[in-house]
Amino acid sequence: MDSFYQQSTLRSNLSVVWNELVKNIKFLLAYPVIIVFWTIFPIFWHIPFILQGQALVGGLTSDSFAQATGTPNYIPFIVIGAVLNSYVSTLLNGMGDNIRRESLQGTLDYVLAAPCNKASVLVGKALSESISSTIFAISQFAISLLLFPISVSLGAMLPVFFIIILLILGLYGLSLVFAAFSLMYKQSHGFGQTVGYVFYIFSPVRYPVESLPFAAQIFGKLLPLTYAIIIVRSLMLLGADLSAVYMEVLALVIIDAILIVAGFLLFNYMEEKTKKTGEISHY
Amino acid sequence: MTYNEESDVFSIQTKNMTKKFAKKKHRGFFGFLRREQSKKNNHITVALDKVNIKIRSQELFGLLGPNGSGKTTMIKCLSTILIPDEGTAIVNGFDIRKETSKVRASLGLVVGGERTLYWKLTARDNLMYFSSLYKMQRRYAKKRIDELLEVFQLSDRADERLEDYSTGMRQKVAIARALLHDPPILLLDEPTLGLDPNFARQIRNQIRELSEKQGKTVLLTTHYMDEADQLCDRVAFINNGKIVAVDTPNRLKAMVKETERLEITVYRPPADIEEHIRSLLPEADVIKLIPGDEAEGIPSKIKIIGGSTEKHVGKIIDFLRIKNVRIGSLDVGVPTLEDVFIKLTGTKLIEGGKQ
Repeated sequence: MDSFYQQSTLRSNLSVVWNELVKNIKFLLAYPVIIVFWTIFPIFWHIPFILQGQALVGGLTSDSFAQATGTPNYIPFIVIGAVLNSYVSTLLNGMGDNIRRESLQGTLDYVLAAPCNKASVLVGKALSESISSTIFAISQFAISLLLFPISVSLGAMLPVFFIIILLILGLYGLSLVFAAFSLMYKQSHGFGQTVGYVFYIFSPVRYPVESLPFAAQIFGKLLPLTYAIIIVRSLMLLGADLSAVYMEVLALVIIDAILIVAGFLLFNYMEEKTKKTGEISHY
Repeated sequence: MTYNEESDVFSIQTKNMTKKFAKKKHRGFFGFLRREQSKKNNHITVALDKVNIKIRSQELFGLLGPNGSGKTTMIKCLSTILIPDEGTAIVNGFDIRKETSKVRASLGLVVGGERTLYWKLTARDNLMYFSSLYKMQRRYAKKRIDELLEVFQLSDRADERLEDYSTGMRQKVAIARALLHDPPILLLDEPTLGLDPNFARQIRNQIRELSEKQGKTVLLTTHYMDEADQLCDRVAFINNGKIVAVDTPNRLKAMVKETERLEITVYRPPADIEEHIRSLLPEADVIKLIPGDEAEGIPSKIKIIGGSTEKHVGKIIDFLRIKNVRIGSLDVGVPTLEDVFIKLTGTKLIEGGKQ
């Protein structure tokens, strides 16, 4: 085989992921004002919850809340839900927007006409889309640790990171679905926001899952965010370890696998379909 | 490394390649309620109609046609960006339908020009990113990028964002990107479109060098007849998705005899002038008024091809004077590729006669 053709190797795939990540970080740094927003906004984000808590229960703790959730501190409870939910909104919209941006820039044709493994490009895009959520999440957690009585040890944080990675993997699968829609329909933002709201309502972001009607609880248990929130709250607020929530971890892994396979299949299908119809080159 | 016009080694062969697009008619706000009816109104455009061409190894091959004739669709099908509806093509020995990765690795692509780069990144960052998509090892890629930046005289500004580059400089980066992995075949879609004459000349020189010195097979699409004439070993005319002629520029131009060709630049010609001249020269193959833009200082052109045109020059001039049409210039002989294209298709290559 001539020198111009190289087989895909793990190294070449990782190189694509890395370069995609670097490219997107450089884009991010080209518009630095948004980073200021991500780091400062979490400070203000807490204020409505503090005020709401004072108005509803006269403080930041509640006995009735403790009966329902196992913890009297409702703000850390919500912070965990909100932080994990922020990955949903950025990833679901981010991947579709990224593909849309490539299409508008005219670079999508070149990415798709290159001989590399497209999965590596998509993984790189997904990783870079997680950056904003991670900056946001770290800021939120840091401020919550300063303001509220959350006991966090390094030993507890490692399983939390593991669960966040599992959540992100599932969301990557779902974000591929939106990237596929973006190829065909040239925008996926409205759809992404709608699905984001479905997550927000049916996952226990701001209330325990038991607060939902029974049918809604069943639907909520199909969403990876539900399991991620339940596990992280158990680890961080109730002092449980992973063995106590292994069923939820297993459910999260299964949902991740289904979403990733479905996402890649749909993306490949849409890529081929748009190449046949010519939609791939439309804006 | 020179192109051998007798060679039967082909870098690109298309086999009945056909591509159709359904153009959806805008159905209005409540269009979804009229789905069945509106489907019938969808218009099918045949962008490529059973195209069969063979491009020899190391050949600089031009695909010449007006806007919308199918040139870009051809490039996009060959580069696997689009999938043909029927037929296929063999690129560097690989089928575009079955061996897409090997086809992609065989090609350097310039389509869409300067817009297809990341303007917020530097030239070096752009090239480094695309080198990874071609599975190039980082160390080798860095060296290759330095070489290409040097060749295209961009080394001094390699670390500036492309948003600060001129159109011509960005086009150079786009061509450098196509050369990153040193592919044997280059697909260049209108590489000089929108460039000022100086940059266009530099790009043409680069293309010639890539073909002659580096032995690349080049498929160049253009609607600039002079560009195709100057650069290409052979030229194919494409019109409405069909290949209407393939040959060397000289042999194509020989299809129009010098005595058969007359071009008159005129100002404010009456709309029915073609019919009037037709009545004077019934044996002419083509009588075509190519409107100019007089506000921009571009006069209209009357092209007459075929018949014993030269003999009737006096008669035509007298007629134009009677009609009070001001004559700018009159050119007899030395046919161009555009004359041949007009003779074959009755269509001009360039909108408004501009180039």
